[in-house]
Amino acid sequence: MKGNTLRIALKNNKFKIGVAIVGFFIIFALIGPMFSKFDPLGYYVIKIGERSATKASIANLPPGEMGEIFTPQGVIKVKHYLGTDSFGRDLYSQLVHGLRSSLFVGLVGGGLATLIGLLIGFVAGYKGGWVDEILMMLTNILLVIPTLALLIIIAAYVTYRGVLIESIIIGLTAWPWTARAVRAQTLSLKEREFVALAKIAGMRDLAIIFGEIMPNMVSYVFMVFILQFGGAILAAVGLDFIGLGPTRGISLGIILQNAVLWNAIQLGYWWWAIPPGLVIALLITGLYFINTGLDEVFNPRLRREE
Amino acid sequence: MKKLLGAIIALVVFANVLSSGYVSAEELPRDETLYVGGGLWSQPNNFNPLTPWAAVTGTIGLLYETMFLYDPLNDKLEPWLAESGQWVSDNTYEVKLKEGLKWQDGKPLTAEDVKFTFDIAKENGGVGWAPIWDWLSEVKVVDDRTVQFIFSQPHYEEWTYWLYNIPIVPKHVWESIEDPISYANTDNPVGSGMYKLYKTDEMRAIWIRNDDWWGTKVFGKPAPKYIVYVIVYSNNVALSMLVKGDLDWSNFFIPGVPDVKSTYNIVTWYDDKPYHLPANTAFLFLNTQKEPLNNPDFRRALAYAINPDEIAARAFQNQVLPAKPSGLLPVPVFEKIKAKDLEEKYGWKYDPEKAIQILDSLGFKDVNGDGYREFPDGSPMKFEIIVPYGWTDWMEMIRIISEQLASVGIRAEPKFPDYSKYWEDLTKGTFDMAINNFGSQVYATPWQWFNWVLYPDVTPVGEPSYSGNWGRYKNDRVIELLELINTEKDENKKLQYYRELQEIMLKEVPAIPIVYNGAWFEASPAHWTNWPTEKNPYAYPISWNNYWQMGGLKVLLGIKPVKSTTSPAETGTATTSQPAETSQTTTSSGEGGGICGPAALVGLAVVPLLLRKRKR
Amino acid sequence: MSGIKRYLTRKIVIYILTFFFAVTIDWAIPRFMPGDPVAVLLSRFATLPNVAEHLHSYFIQAFGLDKPLWEQYISFWNALLHGDLGISIYYYPKPVAEIIKSALPYDIALLVPSIVLSWIVGNWLGALAGKNRKLDSYLMPVFYFLTASPYFWFAIVLAYLLGVKLDLFPVSGAYSYGIIPSLSWAFIKDFLHHWTLPFLSLFLVQLGGWAIGMRNMIIYEIEADYAHYLEALGSSERLILKHAFRNAMLPQVTGLALQLGLIVAGALTTEIVFSYPGIGYVLMQGILNQDYFLIQGCFLMIILNVLVANFLIDLLYVVIDPRVKYSYTGGE
Repeated sequence: MKGNTLRIALKNNKFKIGVAIVGFFIIFALIGPMFSKFDPLGYYVIKIGERSATKASIANLPPGEMGEIFTPQGVIKVKHYLGTDSFGRDLYSQLVHGLRSSLFVGLVGGGLATLIGLLIGFVAGYKGGWVDEILMMLTNILLVIPTLALLIIIAAYVTYRGVLIESIIIGLTAWPWTARAVRAQTLSLKEREFVALAKIAGMRDLAIIFGEIMPNMVSYVFMVFILQFGGAILAAVGLDFIGLGPTRGISLGIILQNAVLWNAIQLGYWWWAIPPGLVIALLITGLYFINTGLDEVFNPRLRREE
Repeated sequence: MKKLLGAIIALVVFANVLSSGYVSAEELPRDETLYVGGGLWSQPNNFNPLTPWAAVTGTIGLLYETMFLYDPLNDKLEPWLAESGQWVSDNTYEVKLKEGLKWQDGKPLTAEDVKFTFDIAKENGGVGWAPIWDWLSEVKVVDDRTVQFIFSQPHYEEWTYWLYNIPIVPKHVWESIEDPISYANTDNPVGSGMYKLYKTDEMRAIWIRNDDWWGTKVFGKPAPKYIVYVIVYSNNVALSMLVKGDLDWSNFFIPGVPDVKSTYNIVTWYDDKPYHLPANTAFLFLNTQKEPLNNPDFRRALAYAINPDEIAARAFQNQVLPAKPSGLLPVPVFEKIKAKDLEEKYGWKYDPEKAIQILDSLGFKDVNGDGYREFPDGSPMKFEIIVPYGWTDWMEMIRIISEQLASVGIRAEPKFPDYSKYWEDLTKGTFDMAINNFGSQVYATPWQWFNWVLYPDVTPVGEPSYSGNWGRYKNDRVIELLELINTEKDENKKLQYYRELQEIMLKEVPAIPIVYNGAWFEASPAHWTNWPTEKNPYAYPISWNNYWQMGGLKVLLGIKPVKSTTSPAETGTATTSQPAETSQTTTSSGEGGGICGPAALVGLAVVPLLLRKRKR
Repeated sequence: MSGIKRYLTRKIVIYILTFFFAVTIDWAIPRFMPGDPVAVLLSRFATLPNVAEHLHSYFIQAFGLDKPLWEQYISFWNALLHGDLGISIYYYPKPVAEIIKSALPYDIALLVPSIVLSWIVGNWLGALAGKNRKLDSYLMPVFYFLTASPYFWFAIVLAYLLGVKLDLFPVSGAYSYGIIPSLSWAFIKDFLHHWTLPFLSLFLVQLGGWAIGMRNMIIYEIEADYAHYLEALGSSERLILKHAFRNAMLPQVTGLALQLGLIVAGALTTEIVFSYPGIGYVLMQGILNQDYFLIQGCFLMIILNVLVANFLIDLLYVVIDPRVKYSYTGGE
């Protein structure tokens, strides 16, 4: 059954394209830093005895230009694949580390949102009654308060923020849609014969949820996760851009924020403002492709390609 | 579908127009309109001169006027509403008002109004100058044009500051206002100034020339009929407006100006670096209540390890000057009291070797081999440097400082809390190191500057302090000196006291001056010309809140329209040099301006996104 | 009939409860934020310590921040029911209601057209893609790319290409600084000129989402059992599509209503890129300055909007879809 699904999936072009894009970015994030001599903020690291110090390169270099770094040992020439920003920081290095933090936010934030959503949705749908009422009320209240606005406020609480905290904040606010959808799914599955049979057989609730309902929803859950993954990345970029992102470290949103602040657009430094957003857009497009591809795999009726 | 679209748009526009309440169809004539920006950060809705820190820029200056102006370029206090002013005895200051002063509603401005302006501060503690009454005992009207200020304990230096910072308000209007502190004063405010409030909305405040201004016969008429003070939330927008000629006078810090200056004929004070006049000193405050920052030698070692030149170049693209050890701004008022010999003798220069030497001799050594020094007892030593998140040039600044300190073995991690947290740490003294400049600007008296940097009334750590000296440096002699200077009339004695203060600062290093933040000024020659520059230095060209009386007003009197008929093609042709007009401007020293205390207004800043750049 | 009545009564009760909770959270959240809003307000005043100290207590009192929390809470509800949202700290001394009133029209002007038009065009393109596989293979990636782009990044790209490079449109503000709003043609032209770029960036990004939704629904419907049944019966493709389209519209209408509910918060980053003076920007200011009253006011607007939109959907469902039993199904 599983092998079969995978085989069908691998025949699906959308799935393949999506996996290729997302896979490319993941691999890039993993090995990309190896090709860079710069630290995550784009500074060149030099060693002075035991200590290391950071130095900037020449400012505003277009992609592919050679930068010069002045060190006590003399001038070092380094190539900047994506150019430098107005502080002489290497943009390739910032981008690749920013991508890492984006993927991290997607994984943790999206994962957390999926988990909470699943849990609440399952319980509400399966239990029904007042448990359902209360959980859904909670969900609805959170739905009413726009996520971005809520994010802004929570983010403002924490005065020093890292990527992990940002991910958790996003995870804690992004689950209501998932909960709703999962609840609907659970409701429909609950009515199926196999659940009724399990009940008759005297299985405990948890056992039924995890033993019977869950396996039938794995595909669905996976797709939800992919959407949450992308959603978390987008939410993080928005937060970073308005200045409520991590107060240390780098992210794609912070690069964009800096670019806008330092007039990259007006001064024509497109290599500063365009690539980070492009990476995000492509990465998330890739995720959507995977999602659509999987949808077609799991719902054979939707398959448009043979 | 098209119909629907059309209907929606029409409806929306209509709703918009209705809500903004305007009926007239009007486009301001470009050639008579001056577009200014850099001192307005939120929708203009407060024109109350009694609370200058909350008022829209221009409230004092354009609308309400002060008795004197202060010109920092020549260090001169210049009469404005006043004709003259002097100490007639040790504790009495007499002001004679100009003849023919009048309010914008036609009523005469008299000594009674001046008295009222002070009296209202006695009754309302929230008025900006209320603390004066701690040492002022009476304001006496001698005749219609003469007022005497009788002091219980004259604070000569402080008084000089207030002379160009207190806006005279009309008695006949304000005496009937119930809660003057929270009065927004947006409906046809009556001032005495050269401009009247015309309109405001979400994006701007529009001022219209007061053609009946009392000063026309004394100072002439300002050329712009309208002043549109624009809100620009981000400096990239400011730059694009400037290069397109949509913004005539910019007081924003705009990154990249050096790069595009010549392409677009942008006028700056200096043609070459540092491009701008200095406005204030950015200090690295060190928490002197904490080990080992309480040790002056340790602080001195830090000073040796920091290279302001690199900071000016990297964080500010050389749009600022690196600071000297004294921190005194390179303007006449400070040059006058600057003890160069002491700076030579006790000052420092970037010299990491020297820093290492001091640290070694103090016993701060790297014993565990991690590359960073530990306390003499071997416990780890680590600092945090804070600036508000989003103030990007400052963020860059402390990154560089952190690097420089690391190279002598001091671990100082740059941290970027949100503004409110930064402010809390700063005021409560719970930081290690922090950059700040909120009160270190140019004043008519250096006392004001020292009184901020070394502010004597610091609270214990944990309780909020409301003025400078964030590092809570304590020194009884300093407190004494500040008091002595403030109450001393004799200039020579004052000079001695100032020398002593500088010596203490140089020896004790309560805070390390890093750079002189600029009086950011970029002007477009497209529609207005004869801008003040190094070669035509007739005014300090700043339009921030409370800087109008320091030069902004003179700029208005000095600039000339490029042509009365402007065609769009003309933009490139007007160049910065207008030799024909230079001669005439050198004489325009009629006004002066002062800086202003609460100028920190401009620094308001909290918007991480946008403007983090607002340094005054 | 009584079923519907009971359904509605229950819904209304839930909405009232939700409103109550949401407003309470709205009240509570800013008050537990770190930092002292009055101190931040007074930080502009750093050179005049005595006055600052005096004003600190003055403001704490004026804003009622010295009262016990429960008292603040009660007076909050009391004022709220009288339509009083308090006075803004940051925009002191302007009432919050006035600030919102002057900012709201810009949001409406920007968001209503962009949401409605992107919905219409998006659904149309999505339906086209749904029924035409060839077209689909070209359009679908574009839709996905659009909907995957962060709003503000798209805004930056448009500003760079159309604003800076080609110099076709202004990149900031709602109208020229030199023009006074009026019903003149000159003003409307100017307003639309400024409106174009922010509108376009919102329109295009949202269009992607709608189109994808519609495309998927159409495909799903075409492949549904009844469609095959109709096909077997020899119905024309047109008729099948018509049915499919009608069924697919339902979730899309829901989405539209929800999106309109989010009107206020929707354009925050876009407003920042283009300095467009809407509520998003005001809210941002409020948060960054710990302006309790402003934050609360903006949130209240948002909450009310969303609640009304949700309620309308519920009503709509009663009318359109008699099968409604548990709750409406949300669609993402």
